[in-house]
Amino acid sequence: MVKLDSVRRRLGPGVEFRCDSFHASPGVHMALWGPSGCGKSTMLNLISGLLRPDEGIVQVDGREIQGLTEGQLDRFRGERLGFVFQTFNLLAPFSALQNVLLGMRFSDRIPQAEWKTRAKELLERVGLSHRLDSKPRTLSVGEQQRVAIARALANRQKLVIADEPTGSLDPKTSETVMNLLLEMCTEEEVTLLLVSHDRAIAERLPERFDCSNLVKEVPR
Amino acid sequence: MSIWHIAWGYLWNRKLPTVLTVASVALAVALISSVLTLRDETRKRFEEEGSTFDIVVGAKGSPMQLVLSTVYYMDTPTGNILFSEYERLRQHEEVVAAFPICLGDTYRGNRIVGTVRELFDHVRVDPVTREKQPLFRLKEGRYFEKKMEAVVGSTVARQNQLKLGDVFVGAHGFMDLPEDLLHVHAEFPYTVVGILDASGSPNDRAVFCDMESVYEVHKEGHHHHEEEEYHGPFRPGVEDTIAPKAEHEDEEGHVEAPQEKEVTAVLIDLESPIQQFQFKELVNSEYNAMAERPLNQIAKLYQQLLGTAKTVLLAIGYLVVVISALSILIGLYLSILQRKRDLAIMRALGASSAEILGSVMVEAFLVTVLGIGTGWLVGGGVSGAIGWYLADRYGLYVQPFGFSFEHTLAFGTVAFVGLLAGVIPAWQAYQTNVARDLAEL
Repeated sequence: MVKLDSVRRRLGPGVEFRCDSFHASPGVHMALWGPSGCGKSTMLNLISGLLRPDEGIVQVDGREIQGLTEGQLDRFRGERLGFVFQTFNLLAPFSALQNVLLGMRFSDRIPQAEWKTRAKELLERVGLSHRLDSKPRTLSVGEQQRVAIARALANRQKLVIADEPTGSLDPKTSETVMNLLLEMCTEEEVTLLLVSHDRAIAERLPERFDCSNLVKEVPR
Repeated sequence: MSIWHIAWGYLWNRKLPTVLTVASVALAVALISSVLTLRDETRKRFEEEGSTFDIVVGAKGSPMQLVLSTVYYMDTPTGNILFSEYERLRQHEEVVAAFPICLGDTYRGNRIVGTVRELFDHVRVDPVTREKQPLFRLKEGRYFEKKMEAVVGSTVARQNQLKLGDVFVGAHGFMDLPEDLLHVHAEFPYTVVGILDASGSPNDRAVFCDMESVYEVHKEGHHHHEEEEYHGPFRPGVEDTIAPKAEHEDEEGHVEAPQEKEVTAVLIDLESPIQQFQFKELVNSEYNAMAERPLNQIAKLYQQLLGTAKTVLLAIGYLVVVISALSILIGLYLSILQRKRDLAIMRALGASSAEILGSVMVEAFLVTVLGIGTGWLVGGGVSGAIGWYLADRYGLYVQPFGFSFEHTLAFGTVAFVGLLAGVIPAWQAYQTNVARDLAEL
């Protein structure tokens, strides 16, 4: 599903991201873990096409993305990737339902006639059928993360990228959100790459990738 | 969830800045719109009135004063001309109709116009469509038939609550003075016999009577006020009445010949409008009078006075447009800075740079269009309020909501400037560095 081969990316003077080899099979739930600043988020940005490698190959769902144009990358992200961030996942002016609809707005994977039904189903699945019209500021952080999970899966994406999705949650809510994310990714048969600096969280996933040695010092 | 929906969502999310920006655009548009509307409408009304008669003839003096005083009842007349000159004019072969106008008094600030009964049967021929439109329509009563009977304009009747059979008196001169300073012709009351329908013309503010009534009021023996400084058209110090003076001996025994009657002006229709220039020259050279084409003076008035005022007001309007554009720019720019994260999320969800740029441009467009719409309505309100004053004071009715080619051009310019103001914030949004902005989450 995701493959990185001899990827290099200059991060700053004398600092480089290097990943000689990475592979995640379709449907796998994998944790990318390591301490802060080790290159976990850079790796996610390279996989999602938000950063381009200076060298090497990034392959996602059978397609090499390092050579795609900006427009092709936009389309690629819209069709195949779902994101869950640590905080500020939702767009403030829009309701929970509208935020999930936005997940389908920028690709053609789901016919427009089905958008609303699909969004409502997902919000019902994450236990928020009673908050469809609620604006993000009226939702708790845990509820916002649940909306973000629904949105990440709205487009029937192949890959969900979750960057510290429980980083701002209390332990109880964190447990609930993690359970929901794993359950839903299993139900939808989606590959999950989850970044976390928390080893306990990482150990809940069946596969782990240690990112500790991805950022190297190089000659200036 | 279209781009429009997204743009509207962000505007709605920051209501106060959006309302203030829309208000600033609306202010500019209201100013421009009302200036254009009032200019167009007043010119239309002036031209309608000005085209009622081909030529106005009055005493030599300022042609503008002559036209304003006799056609629009706005200024003091230039003086009087002899009745015999009126007779000569009336009998001229090129003259189809000639109506005398005798001015001298007012009723509560409204001109008392002495004329002939035939004036009410006159029709105005539209210069473009050539349609015939009656100048006067009675709302109730009848036209005057004898001396001291009055037909009052609709505004005069409404403001003074006059009804048929009511009696009133005129006051000498045209100055709008307090009642205790007016010289009132208390011994010559007029009786209301007719009330005119509203026409949207200066006639709404006038009182019409037989010219013999004016002579009667001003005949010698009834009207001597040497101490008065102002006598309207009656040439202070020379003679103070339009009415003929009777033969009499002075202190040294010289016999003064009886004086001829006078009229203030004559409104003339010619056989053909193309004779206007020739006839005007003829009157100016061969009569002891001055002729003028009303439309000529109106064109000058608009070019010299109102043209400058319009330019100044429009310049202010467009300056406000520039200020509004800056407020759109600043508002959107700050908004883009505040929502870098949102833009990055949208890019992560698959929105293209062009869609991000488009949504910001749509925001600028919506603010501008809302401003234009609101401004047009406010401008209509302003025009309506000023129009109400003009109708009440000068009998000029204006349509508050004008929409001309110039309006379209002005609104198009505002829309263009508004969109232009959106370009910088939109470009900033277009260049969103998604990875960096997401890393800041």
